[in-house]
Amino acid sequence: MKDIYILGIESSCDETSVSIIKNGCEDIATVISSQIDIHKEYGGVVPEIASRCHVENITFVLEECLEKAHMTMEEIDAIAVTYGPGLIGSLLIGLEAAKTLAYLYQKPLIPIHHIAGHIYANSLVKPLEFPLIALIVSGGHTELVEMKGHFEFQKLGGTLDDAIGECYDKVARVLDLPYPGGPKLDQMALLGKNTYPLPVPLKEDRYNFSFSGLKSAVINLAHKKAQQKEPLRKEDLATSFQKVAVESIVSKTKKALLDKNIQHLIVAGGVAANQGLRKEITAMAEEIGVDVSFPPMKYCTDNAAMIAAAGYYAYNLGIRAYYDLNSESSTSLC
Amino acid sequence: MRILYLDTSSSFLYAGIVEDHKLLASCKKNLFHELSKEALPEIIQLFEQTHLAPRQIDKIIVVDGPGSFTGIRVGITIAKVYAWSLHIPITTISALEAMMISSKSKGNHVPMLDARREYVFAAIYDEENRQILSPQHIKLRDLLQKLEEKTYVAITNDSIELPISKESYDPDILKIVETYQEKEEIPVHAVNPNYLKKTEAEEKKG
Repeated sequence: MKDIYILGIESSCDETSVSIIKNGCEDIATVISSQIDIHKEYGGVVPEIASRCHVENITFVLEECLEKAHMTMEEIDAIAVTYGPGLIGSLLIGLEAAKTLAYLYQKPLIPIHHIAGHIYANSLVKPLEFPLIALIVSGGHTELVEMKGHFEFQKLGGTLDDAIGECYDKVARVLDLPYPGGPKLDQMALLGKNTYPLPVPLKEDRYNFSFSGLKSAVINLAHKKAQQKEPLRKEDLATSFQKVAVESIVSKTKKALLDKNIQHLIVAGGVAANQGLRKEITAMAEEIGVDVSFPPMKYCTDNAAMIAAAGYYAYNLGIRAYYDLNSESSTSLC
Repeated sequence: MRILYLDTSSSFLYAGIVEDHKLLASCKKNLFHELSKEALPEIIQLFEQTHLAPRQIDKIIVVDGPGSFTGIRVGITIAKVYAWSLHIPITTISALEAMMISSKSKGNHVPMLDARREYVFAAIYDEENRQILSPQHIKLRDLLQKLEEKTYVAITNDSIELPISKESYDPDILKIVETYQEKEEIPVHAVNPNYLKKTEAEEKKG
């Protein structure tokens, strides 16, 4: 069978990324230009600055990726692009670039949902086995999705308020950790003890998550300690917070796996890099005899390799977009 | 020599293909909020009308601003990816310069765009079309002060209240392209929007 090379483009937030993936699994070249150092100064991603950076970076990143792959556009079979969800101004740059290239080289244009990309990051390690449950944990999402086959998504539950990554970043701010605080909070949690009692969110609700109550509890606790001039043991608070947050995710995921009698779990999204979550998910999966897959660290955060990997399966299924494809800031996977 | 002109700095798409002093095809269309969706399909129409392939273009002239930030980025992204991938020379033109070139009246001109909060994007040109004030983000009041000595015609499609006479903007794509076709090409990676204004976050930060 002929090898299929998909060029993926991702620009939904603050990373401009282009990747070439062979047959949905082999990373030929991936280039990621991160704007993290720029946005750090503002304590978070500034959408207009992100859009400005993407337009400055896009041709550099495309060029570097093709050079790294020793390939030309003519050798590419199709172009996959993130059309949403994300920052609208950022998405547009990748989208216009992808549409233009698809037209100039008469290649199929494949629209990829950002979350589908995160799920398919796992296929860069081993092929997805169905049926599976995907746990998506990132700065913008916390979702449980059931998949019976390629691109057959069925949402089981999601967050009712804040996404887990968002909650981590906000709690990290309370602990004076610089942006992006989520990963640093994960590190800090290794150092403390679980001493602060915090509310366990949405114990009863089936597969839905809620993190705003937990976040508020941490903020209130820190505030109270400051008012009473009592010292706040930051490491302990980090550990206590992480324990409750991770437990909530793990218990809902376990429930979904057992209820649906599913043997395969994949974890996706930026928070899949969280060590505390990895450890607890792995232990839970072992306990109930479920096979679990985490994407390698480099594919956890936003990247175009996952978009190109998803693009391969979408390509095989005949999923195509026309040149009037538009970006969508909020769009659901299923 | 075949030239593709592209301006997406407002909600209008202005595009055209010029060959040897002749406008082969053009598009002047208000795409409202659908610019990002429809700009490329409209450009493709120009190629279909002229039976030309994208590779048969010898130069691209793209408007780099000022205007709608998102709009400018749509045009710049299409143009620079196009120029980069097919190795086509590219150059930029200010939206205000394009407005001045297209003017049908004689005299001193002030092309301007509403930049909100009492500001405009504007430039000043004398009757010889020489630039007196370079394109900038300026308070309308300050701009008007600079106009006191002579008679000026404002060129704008925006509803800006002005004490001077106004001319609406209808791009003369052939004239714009002919004026700019010899302009030096710009290295493609350096073709970027010229917003003339920092982001609010940068302004607040100082």
